[in-house]
Amino acid sequence: MSVESALVRGWRSVNTIASLTLDTLFWSKKTIFVAAISALIMLLSLLGRLILTYRWIRSPFTPEQVFSSLMSTAVIHFLVVFVTLFYGTALISEEVEGKTLTYLLVRPIPKPTIMVGKFLALIWISTLLVIPTIFVSYAILYVRTDMGPFLEDIGVLGKDIGIVFLALVAYGSMFSLLGAWLRHSILTGLVYAFGWEGIVSYLPGFTRKLTITHYIQSIFPHEDAGTSIAMMIGERSGLLESILTLILLSAFFLATASLILREKEYVLDQ
Amino acid sequence: MSAVIEAKSLSKWYGQVIAVNKVSFAAHSGVIGLLGPNGAGKSTLMKLITGQLRPSQGEITMFGGRIWNNFPLFHRIGFCPEQDSFYERMTGTEFLSALLRMHGFSEDEIARRSKLALETVKLVDAADKKIGSYSKGMRQRIKMAQATAHDPEVLILDEPLAGMDPVARWETIRLVRGWGKAGKCVLVSSHILHEIEAMTRNIILVHNGQILAEGDVHQIRDLIDKHPHNIYIRCSRPRQLAELLVAFPDVISMRFHPDGDALTLESKKPDEFYDRLPEVLLKNGIELEEITSPDDNLQAVFQYLVK
Repeated sequence: MSVESALVRGWRSVNTIASLTLDTLFWSKKTIFVAAISALIMLLSLLGRLILTYRWIRSPFTPEQVFSSLMSTAVIHFLVVFVTLFYGTALISEEVEGKTLTYLLVRPIPKPTIMVGKFLALIWISTLLVIPTIFVSYAILYVRTDMGPFLEDIGVLGKDIGIVFLALVAYGSMFSLLGAWLRHSILTGLVYAFGWEGIVSYLPGFTRKLTITHYIQSIFPHEDAGTSIAMMIGERSGLLESILTLILLSAFFLATASLILREKEYVLDQ
Repeated sequence: MSAVIEAKSLSKWYGQVIAVNKVSFAAHSGVIGLLGPNGAGKSTLMKLITGQLRPSQGEITMFGGRIWNNFPLFHRIGFCPEQDSFYERMTGTEFLSALLRMHGFSEDEIARRSKLALETVKLVDAADKKIGSYSKGMRQRIKMAQATAHDPEVLILDEPLAGMDPVARWETIRLVRGWGKAGKCVLVSSHILHEIEAMTRNIILVHNGQILAEGDVHQIRDLIDKHPHNIYIRCSRPRQLAELLVAFPDVISMRFHPDGDALTLESKKPDEFYDRLPEVLLKNGIELEEITSPDDNLQAVFQYLVK
């Protein structure tokens, strides 16, 4: 078989597994929960806009600052983490619990293909649920009678979407690794996301570089408490360093998850 | 002739529990029945043969090569698992097509093979229905279809007749015999002797993770006949069925289940019983939902054998 036909076959297998997984993930109860969080963020945007437009209360913030605040707290620290945690840890465990993994394991495809296909499905569904939330929130807070402010900050929106996508990939690969490795990975994932990432990323010194949050904060165009502290003590990583680290971390997590899938006897968990 | 599957001192243990204990055998083309009570180690052995488990000790090979993580080998293996698990939202055709796509067939070939596999297991009418809406027998048949659609040389079928109605059972038995005659190596497990006997004379007896005996079915047959055979039937009108079955000379006892939808009977001649049952059901319009045979009787024979 030529290298090209092997690549085409490999891609078809990845795509098939991604479609299978996407169908399972999309129609799970998790989607309802994630959609509810997304809807809540959009509602908060609407509420913020209404308060600011009709001056229900005195507020020192502009709609742009409300968007910035929503992005750095609700989207990055909450929605992205929850989406990738729920779906990432379920990638392998749902197949194990549903006993359908057998059908994939007895096919003539390398096991890492299964992991890559599933990870692609995770990124597709996460992007599908998170990116529209950002776009709608932006539109709610920026649209005026004229399109000036909307178009003025469109570059920031583009950056936000790019960074959120990078965060989805990084957290997604991390939680996929936990899902492939541990039987009850969601609890470990929660401890990691809200314990380790939540606490260590705000500590001064080198340890904060051991979190995904640190690199996302470093490239994030908005200000939040963590970013402000980091800026004050001069502990932001550089743009290139942050992007490269996030990409390398994701590749490492995905490769390790693939290796675990290759070596682990999943039928023992069924 | 070199063996298709060869196990040498093969063992598998889960922590302190030994599931397969120093098993050695060689399987050539044709049908081989793996017979043993539930928990004997049949499924573990099949999972070792299909590369889902790695041997703890000893070795297992197929066509001379190792099985664990040897993915190209899976072009040549078809596996029908015991568990009743599916991607419930997919239709039969979608399920087969997705799995065939992983074998690298073209889309035309996938369509042709899916259709052929569905015709073989008589599921063409339900091809476009979601698997979630299939009856237990239909689910069993779609499992068989996915195992055979890529035309493998080796078929590993774990309890393939479980949950099938008598007609589908007979049809599956005919198919398995046909695959054996066509030169495929078919390893089929069951805890019911007459099912295995209908497919092959060549059996391997498994008990407590060990092979007790292998060879012709004749000798074990004589032992089995000395023990009454338990048969569990779930149907639309169990009380009416019981009245009809009382007349069978081989039926020696009967009891109803608390839910009132099922009965368990003991038959001295299970073969004759299974031959006569479809006619009784059809004549009286009784709808059969499930028929299985608990392995108590086989367990008794194995206890006798290991003494």
